[in-house]
Amino acid sequence: MSAATDDRTESIRMIRDSAGAVAPRGGDNKRVRALRFTSPGFSREVFSEMGALGWIGLAVGEDVGGAGLGLSEAVALAEEIGAGLAPEPLVPAMLSARLLAAADDRALLASLLAGEKVVLTAWQERADSLAVPGTPDAPRVFIPMAAGADTFLLPVREANRIALHALPAAGADVTIEKAMDGGSIGTLRGDLSRATRVADDVGAVLEQALDEAALATSGLMLGLMERAFEMTLGYLRTRQQFGRIIGTFQSLQHRAADLKIHIALTRAAVESAAAVLDSGATGAVRQAAVSKAKHRAAESGLLVLRQCIQLHGGIGYTDEYDVGLYLRRGMVIANQYGSATLHRRRFMALAPEDVE
Amino acid sequence: MVAITPNEPADLNLLDDDTFRTHIRRWIVANYPAELLNPPKRLHWNENKPWYFKLAEKGWLCPGWPRQFGGLGLSPAKQIIFTEEIERHGCARTNDHGIVMVGPLLINHGTPEQQQEFLPKILSGEHVWCQGYSEPNAGSDLAALRTEAVLDGDTYIVNGQKTWTTLAMDANWCFLLVRTDKAAKKQEGISFLLVDMATPGITVKPIINLEYHDEFCEVFFDNVRVPARNLVGTPNRGWDMAKALLSFERIYLGSPRLSAYAFARLRQLAERMGVWEDAAFQETYGRLRLDLEDLKSLYGSFVDKLRRGETLGPDVSMLKIFQTELFQRITDTMLEIAGENAGLLEPMEGNRNLNPTGLYIQARPATIYGGSNEIQRNILSKNVLGLPG
Repeated sequence: MSAATDDRTESIRMIRDSAGAVAPRGGDNKRVRALRFTSPGFSREVFSEMGALGWIGLAVGEDVGGAGLGLSEAVALAEEIGAGLAPEPLVPAMLSARLLAAADDRALLASLLAGEKVVLTAWQERADSLAVPGTPDAPRVFIPMAAGADTFLLPVREANRIALHALPAAGADVTIEKAMDGGSIGTLRGDLSRATRVADDVGAVLEQALDEAALATSGLMLGLMERAFEMTLGYLRTRQQFGRIIGTFQSLQHRAADLKIHIALTRAAVESAAAVLDSGATGAVRQAAVSKAKHRAAESGLLVLRQCIQLHGGIGYTDEYDVGLYLRRGMVIANQYGSATLHRRRFMALAPEDVE
Repeated sequence: MVAITPNEPADLNLLDDDTFRTHIRRWIVANYPAELLNPPKRLHWNENKPWYFKLAEKGWLCPGWPRQFGGLGLSPAKQIIFTEEIERHGCARTNDHGIVMVGPLLINHGTPEQQQEFLPKILSGEHVWCQGYSEPNAGSDLAALRTEAVLDGDTYIVNGQKTWTTLAMDANWCFLLVRTDKAAKKQEGISFLLVDMATPGITVKPIINLEYHDEFCEVFFDNVRVPARNLVGTPNRGWDMAKALLSFERIYLGSPRLSAYAFARLRQLAERMGVWEDAAFQETYGRLRLDLEDLKSLYGSFVDKLRRGETLGPDVSMLKIFQTELFQRITDTMLEIAGENAGLLEPMEGNRNLNPTGLYIQARPATIYGGSNEIQRNILSKNVLGLPG
């Protein structure tokens, strides 16, 4: 194994270890539960801690204050965050950091990287789309955890380019809806006259950053799957019915084996896509790798999470039992940055077939 | 980097990966018999031996064997490239039990005399091996095998029956799992014997399968006398050796090549049937495509482990399950779009690339052989997920 691979393995291990500070594996979910349906639905202190740990700028260059790491580290971190159900909007913040790194205003970037300011990008105009029309007066929809934003970033189309404007959240016209997992989803009707222009053209960066967010979200889903499945195995090993541990029933064993295969496929798709991005791939190759991963994560993710409910039986349907938290979070992130269908179509449009 | 010279370098491991790959590929393209490309059925020895001898002559028959035993001694990474190139070109599987099973068995557990007697004859093609494992009442539950070997002086007397013995009619030697201790626990009374198929008392009967092909055989043993020196390793310890050899089989059966081959044929069939542009077909096709791509990624992650020199654990069963079931789903789709051609015995229009029914039938045993997928799920659940027995 090369020294470079060794270094990479080591940096991924360190990232995973550091995640335990915020999202302890197998810890209780008291913090997560307490934050549900509060405003803003996450902890600003924990968000700051994420900044202090260097996570928000994980994939941002060191020259502008980031950690200069890659997507392999980002998906490993996302997996831990997913497994720990941390509600803080880390992936949207990482997306904003990528945009601000291309902007002139370094002060806003610095406060975001430090976790002092929650900066969310209001790029989306319709459901299940990765397109950024940048319509100046169109409502921007599905902004995760919008209730906690300090600043919104608005991409706005000007002829052939996408300019970026920063809009203070205070006083902005934001409608908040409750999310299935206890968080919030916002719609912003941005008034550009109150905004500051921070970059002339982020079109290309935004396209890349959305793909990175889609891949990181796949990492979150992988973490949800792993942890919910772990809980389910624990249940299968202890729950008794008919005088037997239910994990001895072959129909349940085989279903568990199938879910394990789906998790393994998801891990392989996510980690190989991260490696493709880290190798510097561009264009169709890069996008196809992301679509392959996000398709698998959305599709197999929800399959595994709902089967985890089924394997728990009635207790799995109660709000009190934790396995439901994973399904709820899974429902929120499954279609973020593109549904399985969107990514399947995009993959098929992009990826050349090997000629056999 | 080592320059490519007209002569083979003494150790191919010295080539960098890309040079090695090109070197292997060029030679395969130049030497593989065109009429044997992607054969629709498992070939018999008289059909594939030209290729076997080409490899043997080149010294490339046994890429994984150490050099002192006549192999190429390739590193795991180089072996993977070698296999990838063989698969990419569509080379037929040879009668390879001597190469992949008996060789490693004897190299790891054989006596120097056994190694000297048998390994050179695998390399020369003089010995063609078959595998005597399954029995009529010991299929998935292989350790229940009952073919017995009783010691009589310096000779074992073998009685019983093996089945699903691949290409036994082509083989002149058989490596056999036999029961040598009936009193012990079922896994602890099994030994490995090497048996000359010309020994009196052996009868081979081909089984005609759903492909109307005689790939498998029944092999009967009636007071067959086998010299005791042909026992491999320690008596009654055959099960552990057999299990170790199976990890090769599980990654081999998990390779995406069968699914990839069928998938390429699916597209050709869809175009021929006029459904290629159909939205419902495209939906199914897209799902299968991504399943295939993710299988390749998962396979790649296991291959990376081998490349790093790690041994594969029982989780490799995941590959076998997903690959074989994907292969079946692809051929299910072929049958569905084939219309009434779904009832044809032969390829459509005499075109081997339009063979939905052939592939459909070929895909059936994939979930049965090499440990049925139900057994693989048992393995996963007990040995990977730790669910109680």
